[in-house]
Formats: sequence, structure tokens, C-alpha cells
Amino acid sequence: MNGLTRILRFLAGGIFLVAGVLKVLDPARFAADIDHFRLLRYFAVAPLALYLPWLEIICGLAVFVGAWRRSALLLLLALTIVFIAAITSAWMRGLDIRCGCFGAASTAPLAFDLVFDLVLGGVLVWLLRVESRPESPRKA
Amino acid sequence: MVGDKTNPSCAATCRRAMLLLALALVPALFTAWLHPKRPAWSWTRPTVTELPLADAERLTPPVIWLDARPDEEYAAQHVPGALSLNEDRWEELLPKFMAVWQPGVRVVVYCDSQRCDASRAVAVRLRHELRIDNVFVLQGGWRTWLEAHKP
Repeated sequence: MNGLTRILRFLAGGIFLVAGVLKVLDPARFAADIDHFRLLRYFAVAPLALYLPWLEIICGLAVFVGAWRRSALLLLLALTIVFIAAITSAWMRGLDIRCGCFGAASTAPLAFDLVFDLVLGGVLVWLLRVESRPESPRKA
Repeated sequence: MVGDKTNPSCAATCRRAMLLLALALVPALFTAWLHPKRPAWSWTRPTVTELPLADAERLTPPVIWLDARPDEEYAAQHVPGALSLNEDRWEELLPKFMAVWQPGVRVVVYCDSQRCDASRAVAVRLRHELRIDNVFVLQGGWRTWLEAHKP
């Protein structure tokens, strides 16, 4: 456990917490953002727009709680992989849309969000590896 | 579920992950119930009529043109007389539109090009949130208009 791990953990948890809160402020807008990706049937869009931000908030908070950290990091990594796939797909189809990753604050081009999510995914993998490492050598 | 004996915490990790997934359902349900900006739900995607430029320009007046592009693009250039209404500043811009809109007025919304979705999103919100009929989306958007009105 070192300072870098603490900083990365704080950043990763904090980013999802902030992203979740920004989306919860306007779920209707987030639903429109999800729909613009044209990846889901329309009936699934509104439920996902209501659920996903809270999953980010709860997992973002759980990253700060020892016993729940590994589970939260796993879920956040799974989410990030889904986001990367969705953004890549939209980018390849040439869609002129916003990512919606940070609610109303999302104004960056998709390529930026893709790079951001790739870095975030890398950080999550690294944190999971640290988390899986035993604190001290011990016998099985 | 996860039978990894070398790591005894695997099953616990999965169990806690399931609990986190379930826990997020609770506030999500409250959001669906109480949030003033909760999304409207329907089985199928709301449809909006797209109009080619020639048809849009032949609509019987009065017609309001709405620019759904971001502020800076609207500020740089827009269809003469068009109002700005984008989702980034929906709450601020909507009153300006409502001040000039009257029942029976036709509304044409455009965004940048054929690939953009902002005009469709604005049109759908006008139809479903404000119950405004006679809302159309301009096929090809601003670029098509610009091409047709080159000096």
C-alpha cells in the first residue's frame, strides 16, 4: 500500500461518484444520450438511464470501503469496458454525438472520452491487481 | 459460483458485487418515481417527421426555425430568424422559444448535418414534454441549408 495507490483509488472512486451525480441531476437528458448511441431497444433506455448513475455512485463510494473495494472495482471495470465498446462503436459508425459520460458537462469529442475511459480502465485493472495481492506473504 | 480455492475471497467478492448491483436499484426506483426530470418511458422510439429542405421552406407560415446546435455554432452563423434551442441550455433557452410559439405554428429544428441527432432530440422533447405538434426535423441540417443558400 503506497501513496500512489491511495491517490489512484481516490481518483477512480471520485470520478465515478462525480459522473454518477452529474447524470442523476438530469436522467431525461442521460436517457437521450444513451439513445443517441442507437445500441439498445428504446424500452431499455429509460430504465438504464435511471439505474446506471446510481450504480456508479454506489460503486464509487464502495471503492473507499475496504471490504467492498474489490467488488466495486470489478463492477466499475466491467462498466468501463462496456463504455469503451459503446464509444468505439459510435465512433466507427461516424455518429456525431456526445458521450454523455458526465451528464450536462459532457462536451468533449468522443475520441477524448475513449482515451479517458481507456486510461481509467487501466487504472482500475492496476487497482484490482494491488487489491488481489496479499498484504504479507502467507501460506495457503 | 467461483470455485477458486486459492483465493477464498472470490465468492465473497461476487456476493458483494451482486449486493452492490441490487443496492443501486433502490435509489433508481425512487428516481423513477419522484425525479422531476425522469425520462419518459415507451416501448418504441418516438418518431419525428423529417422534411427535405425544399419542403421545409414551403411550409405554410408562421414557421419557427430552431437551431439545436451548440451556442458557439449558433453564434457564428445560423438560418436567418432561427432561435437557438439546444439541450445544453434547455432550461434557459426554452422560455425564449415559448415566448414566440403559439398553437398552430410550425416548427423546423435543425442541427449540423445528416449524422447529428440533436435536432431529433429537441423535436422529440418538444412533442412529448410540451405536447407541441407540427414539429419537423430538417433533413441534412445546417450544412444542407448552407449549401442551398451559397451566395
